Amino acid sequence: MKLAYYPGCTLHGTAREYDASTKAVCKAAGVDLVEIDDWNCCGALEAIFDKELSMGLSARNNFKAQKTGLDLVIPCSICSHNLSRADTAMKNDEAFRAKIERALGEKYNGVNIKHLLDVIINDIGTDAISGKFTKSLKGIKAVAYYGCLLVRPSEVSKFDNPENPISLDNLIISTGADCLPFTQKTKCCGGNLLMSKQDYAFILTKRLFDEAKAAGANCVVVACPMCHMLLDGQQAVIEKAHNTVIDMPVLYFTQLIGLAMGLGEKELELDKNMVSTSKLIGSIGKGETKVEVKAQIKGQEAEAAQ
Amino acid sequence: MIKSDDLDPNFKYEISKEPGGENIKKCFNCTGCTVGCPLTEIDKSYNPRRILRKALLGMRKEVLTDDSLWLCASCYTCYERCPQDVKITEVIGAIRAIAQREAKAGIIKINNNKPVFDNLFINSVKSNGKWYEAGVSGTFMLKTKGIGGAIGYAPMGLELFKKGKLSILPHKIKGTKEIKRIFEEVEKK
Repeated sequence: MKLAYYPGCTLHGTAREYDASTKAVCKAAGVDLVEIDDWNCCGALEAIFDKELSMGLSARNNFKAQKTGLDLVIPCSICSHNLSRADTAMKNDEAFRAKIERALGEKYNGVNIKHLLDVIINDIGTDAISGKFTKSLKGIKAVAYYGCLLVRPSEVSKFDNPENPISLDNLIISTGADCLPFTQKTKCCGGNLLMSKQDYAFILTKRLFDEAKAAGANCVVVACPMCHMLLDGQQAVIEKAHNTVIDMPVLYFTQLIGLAMGLGEKELELDKNMVSTSKLIGSIGKGETKVEVKAQIKGQEAEAAQ
Repeated sequence: MIKSDDLDPNFKYEISKEPGGENIKKCFNCTGCTVGCPLTEIDKSYNPRRILRKALLGMRKEVLTDDSLWLCASCYTCYERCPQDVKITEVIGAIRAIAQREAKAGIIKINNNKPVFDNLFINSVKSNGKWYEAGVSGTFMLKTKGIGGAIGYAPMGLELFKKGKLSILPHKIKGTKEIKRIFEEVEKK
């Protein structure tokens, strides 16, 4: 499988371990990633007050992807949301398409855009990816945190249930790790308010940890660099602000499945996470598997399928 | 008390002409947006139903100057659940666009720092094609919290730098001219 790859700004900065682990996992799964040429920022959520600008900036990347003739994969939930939304607008809104085609002097036909989790679950497939696993991650007790834009709005992100997604839960279970029930799985971490209303962002993020801890988790698994920035990057600051101890490693899902594939810690850049991952990695192979929890998640899956 | 003389009946049309604001008139004020809002849970002053109702009534100045307008975290929970497809997250964005124009023209004053950060971010994308994290965050701290704030941010910046996660200089793309043309085209309205 060969795909065009849009990393987005964070994966070349604060989320570099997501970039490294994405490339490592894709290589091991036989997926060839071709980074699109001279890509630009999608406008993130900072351009939300200027919808046309946000979609226009995103559309330039879609033009670049179109040139490759490949489907486009994006690991960041915000970028994936913006580029997908821009693709729809370019196809359906003639006035908007005319503006952007005028600005860039090219014709737009459309690109098939998917979040990396969607590609791994649905295009590669959980069975095929778990066929590459060489090591059970028994001992890891995770909660799957989807956050916002990975599954919402469902008119843009169509691969899972927006209220009770299960794809990441099932991927975690396939590694041999425990995946614990987590009612906060799609609650907002407050990432977009980190700079302007930090105290509120910290309250929202701390609530996620409160439930993860109460569930007995020893790590949180995410699929978005903004979520990771709050849960991992800001964890020490939140501990200080709330005079508490969280001490909870936060892994990108690519780091988790990379471990199950037997890939090296350096390759997955597990030393780049702000919260140390060494104790967690040391716990692999030492925990007792909670069979009843797995049964519960499988039950939810059956319910959703009905 | 709301005086009908103070209301601007055109406000809802003004919002619906703004990209993202098109569906505001579909709102029938069911409160579905507000009961699931994570921000309302921690601060009752943020109430998306109330913002929509006031906007539909024409309470223009009150909506545009309400600090809570800047508390939406763009989580899209209300957008997903709205039975009327109002696309609330984007309606909030459309109202923010009007508020920023009024503030720029000196008609109203915005006390929240959210637009300060957002504009620094967008300006960095305009000049470089990518967002310049160290520059934007540093300037934001300096602008909103003074030199003390900027110094307070430094240890976090240093931690990120040591991990190879923060670049001191901006990364510039080759196609910055194309980025400028996109800005020009969408500004034409």
